[in-house]
Amino acid sequence: MKRATSDHWLMRYLFIGVMFAFIVIFLIFPVCVVLIEALQGGLKFYFNTLLSTHSLTAIRLTLLVALAVVPLNTIFGICAAWAVTHFKFRGKGLLISLIEIPLWVSPVIGGLVFALLFGRRGWLGPWLDDHNIQILFAYPGIVLATAFVTFPFVARGLIPLMQAQGSAEEEAALTLGANGWQLFWRVSFPKIKWGVLYGMILCNARAMGEFGAVSVVAGNIEDQTNTMPLQIEQYYLNFGLPQAFTLASLLLILSVITLAIKIGLEWRRLAPNMARPH
Amino acid sequence: MSVAVSHISKRFETFAALRNVSLEVKTGELLALLGPSGSGKTTLLRIIAGLEIPDEGRISFVGEDVTEKSAYERKAGFVFQAYALFQHMTVFENIAFGLRVLPRKKRPNAQAVTKRVNELLELIQLPEFGHRFPSQLSGGQRQRVALARALAIEPRVLLLDEPFGALDAKVRKDLRNWLRHFHDQTHLTSLFVTHDQEEAFELADRVVVFNEGSIQQIGVPSELRQNPSNEFVRTFLEV
Repeated sequence: MKRATSDHWLMRYLFIGVMFAFIVIFLIFPVCVVLIEALQGGLKFYFNTLLSTHSLTAIRLTLLVALAVVPLNTIFGICAAWAVTHFKFRGKGLLISLIEIPLWVSPVIGGLVFALLFGRRGWLGPWLDDHNIQILFAYPGIVLATAFVTFPFVARGLIPLMQAQGSAEEEAALTLGANGWQLFWRVSFPKIKWGVLYGMILCNARAMGEFGAVSVVAGNIEDQTNTMPLQIEQYYLNFGLPQAFTLASLLLILSVITLAIKIGLEWRRLAPNMARPH
Repeated sequence: MSVAVSHISKRFETFAALRNVSLEVKTGELLALLGPSGSGKTTLLRIIAGLEIPDEGRISFVGEDVTEKSAYERKAGFVFQAYALFQHMTVFENIAFGLRVLPRKKRPNAQAVTKRVNELLELIQLPEFGHRFPSQLSGGQRQRVALARALAIEPRVLLLDEPFGALDAKVRKDLRNWLRHFHDQTHLTSLFVTHDQEEAFELADRVVVFNEGSIQQIGVPSELRQNPSNEFVRTFLEV
């Protein structure tokens, strides 16, 4: 039977049309602008900008930050998901909500918390100063701020996945004599590995693009603490619009690669049997 | 005796799952834990395996007190109600699992593992199925693989949770006969949980009737039918 409300062709085209218009105006158009603007000065200018000290330091720092943050949050995410799904304890619901805090608060606040904690007049500042440990306006601070913002990405995907799978296979492994380590690597991890990889990719994408939290703790020292997003802003503020677009295009390309990997993974997850031998 | 359960109590929040349960399983015996759902029989089985920790009481295997030992040290062969096969491993790897996780000194070499797994595949009458995945098997086949996996570690006692619960009537009957036959040959001390009295009476040497977390009566099938000890047993068995 035809349903009067859902099948009217005008409505259908209207909704689909609005959606496409929205996507083109707000997503595709800006991306095209970035790419076109980046190439305005020609290829030579493009590569000169990318290979300048400013850009290279920023690219290097961004990659180093992602390299520290992604493994950190992956380990944390797996631990959190494991605790929530396999142990019974008070305040479990609260813990799940707490993990999501970074998604609800502005990243700037995250950055400010670290500034307050580690700054010269902050709670731990004097002690760190005495021991000559530099956290704020340096690599450790940037890693902390980025880790804060990207903290929920792995855990959030794994918790529902592991809850749905239950503990039956883990219990079976236990009765067969597997210790905790064997249990994790032989039984639990193979079941969640695609979920972990998926979370790592999202975490990585967010880590490379993070601006707000990092800008508070990094202190804008050119050629030292500027990550790619910060350097893009720096170029922009210094009237280097073409340079800004050039570096932005690289960040964009990294995102597109991430997106492609993510789509590839989703295909694989939708057809898990195709990946198996036999 | 092979398994001794003494004065076990277990609460889940406000619900008393087991109240002061004591039970002895003789070596080589096939024992049924029979009762309505929620009567505590599965909880007892899980406590024996070490998957749940009792609030009070002791468990011992062949004279050794295992109350403080974790499930992986006890190594009771456990067959789960929903089989709990490792979905990402082949049938062969499922059965080999218990051998592969043995401490290095005791771990058999690859040849010995293959030999043992093939023997077990013969035993469960699925010799050609080693390379399949659990998702490619029928319910009855999965159940037999779960059994072979539990037997691979040569357990001192075999625990089966509603072993035929999820199977259709015909497969159920076949598998029941097969298990009785298997037990007659090996005399491996076994406990199985069921809510089906026909199954309990046909298969078990002795039957333990459970209700509301306590044992109502223990006895051989004929004894239970002739002399039900209380009103619950009488009604439950419909004597």
